[in-house]
Amino acid sequence: MAVEWYLVLSSLLFATGAAGLLIRRNPLVILLCLELMLNAGNLALLAFARSLGDMDGQIFALVVMVVAACEVVIGLGLIVAMYRRRLPLNVDDMRGLRG
Amino acid sequence: MDASTFGWLVLAFPLAGSLLIALAWRALPGRTAGVIGTTAIGLAFAASIGMLLELLGEPAEERQIASALWQYADAAGIDIEAGILVDPLSVFMCLVVTGVSTLIHLYSTAYMASDRGYARFFSYLNFFVFSMLLLVLAGNFVFLIIGWAFVGFASYALISFWYRRNTATTAGMKAFVINVAGDVAMVIAAFLLIRDLGTVDYLEVFAGAEEAFSVNSGTIVAVCCLLLGGAFAKSAQVPLHTWLPDAMEGPTPVSALIHAATMVTAGVYLIARMFPLYELAPTAADIAAFVGLATLLIAATIALAVTDLKRIIAYSTMSQIGYMVVGVSIGAYSAGLFHLMTHAFFKALLFMAAGSVIAAMANRQNVDLMGGFRRAMPLTSALLVVGALALAAFPGTSGFFSKDEIMAFATERGGMYLIFTIGGYVGAFLTAIYAFRIGFRVVAGEPCREARELEQGHLVHAEPENPATGEAEDTDVGFPGPEHHIAERAWPMAAAMAVLGLGALFGGLVQVPGVTHVIDEFLAGTFDPSPLFHVEPSVGAEWLGLAIGAVISLAGIAVAWYGWVARRNDVTLRLIDRLPAVHRFLFNKWYFDEIQDALVYRPAIAIGQFSSAVFERYVVDGLVSGTVGVVRGAGVVVRGSQSGFVRAYALLLLGGLLALALYFLIVSS
Amino acid sequence: MGFLNYVVWLPLAVGVACFLVPRRVAPWLALAGALAVLGLAIGLVVDFEAGVAGIQHSVDESWIPELGVRYQLGVDGISIFLILLAALLWAGATAFSALRGEPGDPARSRLYYFLLGLGETATVGAFMAQDLLLFVLFFDLMLIPFFFLIGAFGGANRIAATTKMIVYTLVGSLLMLVGAIATAILVSQETGELSFALADLRENLLAAGSQEWIFCFFAAAFLVKMPAFPIHGWLPDAYRAAPLPVLVLLSAVLSKVGAYGFLRIALPLYPDAAVTFQEAILVIGVASVLYGSVMAFTQTNVRLIAGYSSIAQLGFITLGIFALRPDGADGAVLHMVNHGLVVAPLFLIIAILFARTGTEDLREMGGMATRAPVLAALFLVVTMATLAIPGSANFIGEFYILNGLFQEKVVYAVVASAGIVIAAFYALRLYQRTMHNRLPEGMVSRELSLREAAVLAPLVACIVALALWPGLILERGEASVEESLAAVEPTQVAER
Repeated sequence: MAVEWYLVLSSLLFATGAAGLLIRRNPLVILLCLELMLNAGNLALLAFARSLGDMDGQIFALVVMVVAACEVVIGLGLIVAMYRRRLPLNVDDMRGLRG
Repeated sequence: MDASTFGWLVLAFPLAGSLLIALAWRALPGRTAGVIGTTAIGLAFAASIGMLLELLGEPAEERQIASALWQYADAAGIDIEAGILVDPLSVFMCLVVTGVSTLIHLYSTAYMASDRGYARFFSYLNFFVFSMLLLVLAGNFVFLIIGWAFVGFASYALISFWYRRNTATTAGMKAFVINVAGDVAMVIAAFLLIRDLGTVDYLEVFAGAEEAFSVNSGTIVAVCCLLLGGAFAKSAQVPLHTWLPDAMEGPTPVSALIHAATMVTAGVYLIARMFPLYELAPTAADIAAFVGLATLLIAATIALAVTDLKRIIAYSTMSQIGYMVVGVSIGAYSAGLFHLMTHAFFKALLFMAAGSVIAAMANRQNVDLMGGFRRAMPLTSALLVVGALALAAFPGTSGFFSKDEIMAFATERGGMYLIFTIGGYVGAFLTAIYAFRIGFRVVAGEPCREARELEQGHLVHAEPENPATGEAEDTDVGFPGPEHHIAERAWPMAAAMAVLGLGALFGGLVQVPGVTHVIDEFLAGTFDPSPLFHVEPSVGAEWLGLAIGAVISLAGIAVAWYGWVARRNDVTLRLIDRLPAVHRFLFNKWYFDEIQDALVYRPAIAIGQFSSAVFERYVVDGLVSGTVGVVRGAGVVVRGSQSGFVRAYALLLLGGLLALALYFLIVSS
Repeated sequence: MGFLNYVVWLPLAVGVACFLVPRRVAPWLALAGALAVLGLAIGLVVDFEAGVAGIQHSVDESWIPELGVRYQLGVDGISIFLILLAALLWAGATAFSALRGEPGDPARSRLYYFLLGLGETATVGAFMAQDLLLFVLFFDLMLIPFFFLIGAFGGANRIAATTKMIVYTLVGSLLMLVGAIATAILVSQETGELSFALADLRENLLAAGSQEWIFCFFAAAFLVKMPAFPIHGWLPDAYRAAPLPVLVLLSAVLSKVGAYGFLRIALPLYPDAAVTFQEAILVIGVASVLYGSVMAFTQTNVRLIAGYSSIAQLGFITLGIFALRPDGADGAVLHMVNHGLVVAPLFLIIAILFARTGTEDLREMGGMATRAPVLAALFLVVTMATLAIPGSANFIGEFYILNGLFQEKVVYAVVASAGIVIAAFYALRLYQRTMHNRLPEGMVSRELSLREAAVLAPLVACIVALALWPGLILERGEASVEESLAAVEPTQVAER
């Protein structure tokens, strides 16, 4: 199978994730969308690795998965902390970084 | 030991004394500091004699011995050695300096005995002598300047010795700053010599100068004039003299030291030492002579009007230094230095006697309040009169021979130089008058209250007060407190004064025209190359000059007698009434202080205040606020994008990514 | 081989170690570290071979090969005594802080000593760096500890003061960074090889046109650091706000990095531009001398008197360097050390006086000598050295500087020498108004304590020792200075 189909799927997944990231306000959903985007990237990496016959892409995908796991741990931790403090689960209400 | 070893010893003893007293002052009981100080200078005097004997053992043409201890700095084409030059001139100066200083130290051991700063005083005093000896013995310009500046520092420390007095600290600062101005002039002269000769060593400079410079060429005249700046500042010549009368704020022995042995004679020494340069620059030498003449006349007129005993003597010093400057500038080297020596004797004596009188007056210094001490203080009075006689060049005294020798030389050179003869005799007349103004006011006349009490054996006590401002002194840090010391009751003072009295009376006999030539012959080792040194007035002409001098001196003393003894001061009071403007002019010292104040001090202060009030605030701070403004403005622009909305950041991120991707697409296609 | 590494990094290591020990111990650990660095620096000087140009004790490691940046350290006759000065004064400032229990808040003492250590590493590193980018890096690193030392431990108005200082110096630093990168890139276009090593850059000089603007960037950074008139605006505020031990380092050592930069970077790399801008910089130098001196004698805050006098002294140093002659530059090297040695005890004395009088205003002081003869004597020595009395090493420094300038540009030398006269006035004024005259009501004169004397006396001893043999520095600096000026002189000779 040609590599293009994988790439198309990957781009669709990535676009879905990006759109969700921009549209939704719930941090949990945003986290899911981020995961989607990362996995879209992984798919592309694996596809290229396969088509080029080079193992580097696979290794890189593993690294991305590790990073994603870390990110989920921290992100979920933050969300749990927000929930415990009864803060609204809305990213637009959190503007502490405004310049 | 050879002469240079003795030379180093001459330097080592006073320095060691100064350091020893400074480091061990807490452990020194009673008058030990004074004993150490006096011994140190006495040893230096002994070493000077050793130097003299060694030098006399050499053949006349080999009496210039240079010696260096270590390489002070040798880089970038300038080679400075820590070196001394022992020759007849420096040995002569060392003998005068250490000899007179020993006596002044001896006097001080008693005079300063009740001062709380006793050890500090002797440490400074020894350092002062060390500095002067360094100046005299230095073998190159850098060490000359170092000694020169150390003398300035020591004078500062001693003038402001009673540092609780505002007037004393101000006077010290004035002396120091004026002297630094002189130092700077000398430093620039050294730069010129380095430029054209590439060396700072005396002997190399003197050897090279004749080839490098033609007579009266611009550079050599500039060098000599700049050196004169230093000489005038140190020797208190017009217009750089204003520090000298103010320096009377220091203790009286300090005045004696500054005026007789150290410091003010340095300028005379400098001109004499640089004679090979001045003979290449006769213009500069003539300038020096005219300034000397002006100083000797101006100072003599002021000495007629001021009423502070020490200041009268101070102005007389200026005037006498004027004679010496005239002497060494017109080429009468041995006469000028001869006068330097005799002046050291009688001026030290005068100050010591004045110190004794001031102590008896409970620290009051106004001559108008004094009178009739002849019975109360016979020794002091006698020696004061001896000093005044020598100052007035009374026939037979030391000042008589030395002063007239300068005038005889000026006459011999003739032409323009006759001005100096005439001016010198006018000055001599004035000198005789003010010398005996001091003498008669203190010794003759009705005894004042203090003198009467002293006759009963009771030394007046008074709360010390500042003679300049009248405010009570702070005796906490040392001030010759309620205890005063007069020569009649303290043997070291009497001994020192007696020795100087002998010198003042008979010191002139070493060089009587046609009879003795001790100084001439000795100094030949230094001045032999100079053609002017061999110009000698005939014995007849010298004796004619002496005769004129004797008449003038006697006339002056007679005038003083008429004014202050015969008519009991009436004449002078009527003169003051008749000529108030002249009196005010003289009493205010020709307004030199005011002129300096208006021309130098006030403008500098004004510039400084303007700078800090206006320039600093608007221009310098303006620069920084401008920079801050730019940074802040840029910050406002960038801050707009920091909304705090996470999703906005995400959008920016994605937008950036897209833009990058687009860019690579376009580039690759 | 790696000897220099120890000198550079030991202070930082000790600073980090301060966080690991109990609070009470931290100052003493820092002091031990500073003394150890001083020992190493003395060893460096003893080991130094005099009369030889070029780098000694060189350390040369590849660092960022892609950018041609090397970790390259070395010492020569110009930097060796500045390193010793830095080590000495850091030891002095640390000792003074430790003995007096600085900072006042013991909870932050570890931070304080860590910052001091970082500052020493950065400064010594800047003096040793033989790679342009490494120099820039250390130069900027110096700023960070001092920003916090003043900002966190300073007196009133410290925030505004630090901000002002940072704005000034940062602008200079950024210009310098641009200049450094531009130099390396422009040179690499000629040679085809990117390198920041000073030795390489010195061999391949830029065209006169590019030299000129890059020189201006560097000059701006260095002149701000010194500081020179009229870009000294940060000085009054920073001097008023800084804690005194920090001010010692700021004034005595940091200001020298600017002057050092001229000798190490600006003259060898941009010789043509140095000749072009000689007059301009000389004017700045003379203006600094006169303006600093005049300001110093109208100020009443004792810190500012010392501060403005620093502007004047650094003006002399600038003049010496831009005489563009070996004698002037050699004098400048000596005078850098002199000024550091003099101004450090001066600020310590100001701290000591403040402890007795509770004021830093000259008008409220007086009579401090009454019961404190030792303090008065030490202060007198420092005062005399400050006003460069002949016989002090400061005089020899100024003598060489002004002589160099005199042989080159007579007028500047004569005008600048007026600064010496004014220096006599302001230095004596400072001494008299504090030590002499009457003791104001309610003030007590107190002798130096043993702890204060333990810091002050060695520094004064150094002044006296150097006064006896200034040749020590002059003779070692000569060869290196000539090397640094080597590129400048031929063009000048051609011009004449």
